[in-house]
Amino acid sequence: MDEENNILWKKILGEIETEVSRGIFITLFKPTALLSIEKGIASIAAPSTMVIDLLQKRHYQVIKKTVDKYTKIDTKIIFVPKIINKGIREDIGVSPLFAPVEKKQTLIIGHLPRVRADYTFQTLAVSSSNQLAFVSATTVAKKPGVAYNPLFIYGPVGVGKTHLMQAIANEVYKNDPDKKIIYTTSEEFTNEVVEAIRNNDTARMKRKFRNVDLLIVDDVQFFAGKDRAQEELFHTFNILIDAGAQIVLSSDRPPSEIKKLEKRLSSRFAGGLTVDIEAADFELRCAILLIKARRHNIDLSIETAKKIAERAHDSRELEGLLLKTITIAANRGVEITPELAENTLSQNIDEEKKFFRPDEIIRNVCVFYNIKETLIKGPKRDSGLVKARQIAMYILKQDLALSFVEIGNILGGRDHTTIMHGVKKIEGLLLNKNFSEEILGIKALFGNSEGGLKKW
Amino acid sequence: MKTSLITENLQKKILFVSHAISTRNQLPILLNFLIEAGEGKITISATDLEIGITADIPAKTEKEGSITVPAKTFTEILGNTSSSKINMETTQEGLALTGEGEKTVFQTIPTDEFPKLYKDKGKQIMVLKDEAIKKDFSKVVFAASLDSERPALSGVMIKEEKDGFLLVATDGYRLSLKKQALQGSKKTKTEEMVSMLVPARIIRELIQMEKDSGDGDIRVYASKEKNQIIFSQDDTVLIGRLIEAEFPDYEKIIPTDFSTKTIFERDSLQKAIKAGYVFARQTAGIIKMSIKKNKISVSANAPSVGKNLIEVEAKTTGEENEIAFNARYLLDFLSNSTSETVSFEMNGPLNPGVFREVDDPSFMHLIMPIRVQEAA
Repeated sequence: MDEENNILWKKILGEIETEVSRGIFITLFKPTALLSIEKGIASIAAPSTMVIDLLQKRHYQVIKKTVDKYTKIDTKIIFVPKIINKGIREDIGVSPLFAPVEKKQTLIIGHLPRVRADYTFQTLAVSSSNQLAFVSATTVAKKPGVAYNPLFIYGPVGVGKTHLMQAIANEVYKNDPDKKIIYTTSEEFTNEVVEAIRNNDTARMKRKFRNVDLLIVDDVQFFAGKDRAQEELFHTFNILIDAGAQIVLSSDRPPSEIKKLEKRLSSRFAGGLTVDIEAADFELRCAILLIKARRHNIDLSIETAKKIAERAHDSRELEGLLLKTITIAANRGVEITPELAENTLSQNIDEEKKFFRPDEIIRNVCVFYNIKETLIKGPKRDSGLVKARQIAMYILKQDLALSFVEIGNILGGRDHTTIMHGVKKIEGLLLNKNFSEEILGIKALFGNSEGGLKKW
Repeated sequence: MKTSLITENLQKKILFVSHAISTRNQLPILLNFLIEAGEGKITISATDLEIGITADIPAKTEKEGSITVPAKTFTEILGNTSSSKINMETTQEGLALTGEGEKTVFQTIPTDEFPKLYKDKGKQIMVLKDEAIKKDFSKVVFAASLDSERPALSGVMIKEEKDGFLLVATDGYRLSLKKQALQGSKKTKTEEMVSMLVPARIIRELIQMEKDSGDGDIRVYASKEKNQIIFSQDDTVLIGRLIEAEFPDYEKIIPTDFSTKTIFERDSLQKAIKAGYVFARQTAGIIKMSIKKNKISVSANAPSVGKNLIEVEAKTTGEENEIAFNARYLLDFLSNSTSETVSFEMNGPLNPGVFREVDDPSFMHLIMPIRVQEAA
């Protein structure tokens, strides 16, 4: 309708232009517009009462005549004081004071709660072991809620899961400080749930978690067995995904392997992109060391970094050893050299051999027998598979002193009697010399377990 | 029409009335004054259809009537007359102006071509105290844009608040805001809360009107339907139109905290900026302020001409900082401020800097900095 009026008015003005002087046309007619024309009344907008006065007094006849020609009926003309903004730039947003400022304003507030400001993508060392996770994380940070939802990151301790997740939070916050971001650990989430139930104030907690643009939950494996928290997470999860919010989760194992996690939850966890970060390889560990040393304002030589990297496997341990080296060097007042690093760290070797995690053992057994990890946990009972599985049971029992039930759970939910049987069988077989050498071979893998893991 | 009056009275008013004449106007009638002789007075009016001004001047009228005369020539002749009393009379040839030993005849255009400035004034919405006008409006109006293509930025927002009126104007690069303004002004009780966007041009004329025509409160009439606002003081009436546009959300951009605050004498900084502007105007007005613990270093650099640096004493709290502004904006603020000491708050070189008057905490001025590469 507006468009029609505009076209009609343009035609009318075109005719009037030929009848009045140029000065009159420009000052009086140019700033007018036809607001509506119906029931024989045309209302015309003009910018001020003065203009209206002149139009009415001196040009009413010519306007009416021309309008009548188009409407073909006797039309009454009324004027309305109104400025019609023709082709006016209304986008105030372009003005520097109003456009970008809002963002900067919010930025001032500093960094996100619970998130370390220095955990960004820029400070993360990337190599083949974590490249996939890094790429997915940057994609998610660029397009939260669009790219992969949820993003599930898993991997052993100290490989940078938390760093990566906080980097997502920092990046999203940097790009749009108005986005609501919550970073929490499963432990904290559980505490919130418990607290809310105790204070009879679940509504507030629900509002808090269901109203975000980005929810990051670290170490979700700790939800195992916490049913009420799982339920809460499940609902929060559904609402957020529906609302297009991004969810990022991390755990030390893939969703399907988290014990005592409700099926509906683990299937949802796996519903987006699941990426793993492998333990850092030697080169990456060196790179991490160099980055960390720079943060302590120390120029570490590559050689020294190599020496330290040889002795630690996860990044926290690396940092610990690095600090130790730095402290000792500072105490003795000497430069940090590869030799110094070697000396100070040699006493660490023994302790570090002692402890292994069940999944590392299983992985090593799998490496030794060249079978897939999923198979050893699966239901198949081919003889080669059964043997490897039973060896895994034995080592888990002997070296980690786990209970039969626990071992059963680790190995894909087997009955504890199965495990008892397996362990006994291997103990019997150990009398055979060849067989015991085989076991020793597997255990030797643990000695430089990284060697085994790296090739995996 | 036949009337006589004291020259001086007419001279005083005519200059202000002629502000409503726009020489670029294409309509001959709008280059004329409308002179109406009534009982005991004559009324002079002018308009460019955007604003209108009328003024009454005491006169002894023998025969009532009206006529229009070319504004420019009329004003010039009046400025050069030595007669203390003049007579005006319409004759066959035009309007005859006679004084002691002089006679001028002006070409005229019939009155009916002249637009009526307003039909009725509309409701009286408030009464402004004259002292407040210059003091408050002149600190704000300069921040408005001269570009009428952006209506919302070319006006001054007048908004009633609990503790007085709020005046705010911005051109998108700077913003002036005065709270608790127009003290002593009274709002007509029955009316709803005042909130209107008045063109900066009207506000400038209002300041001028108050300056020229002396004392007396100023009555404000507004009509949203007619899109009209009228300020009237004594015998002078200023007519304009309201801006129908959404004023930008200024509250959003006012910084809530700062990392650097410095206090200095307005005069010293103004001198420093003026000197720096000699060079700055060669480079789009860029002037750099480097805020140190007990001084502000003002520097400008024009590669082809030269550069200078002036230090101004200041007392700084918070971190040391650097920021660059358009010198023009700084000078606009500094010359319109009346406070002896001024404070400046900032939050990094990319966020708007905030100037406040130490005497008057209800006033603030924001300027968007210029992003400069490295050191001038």
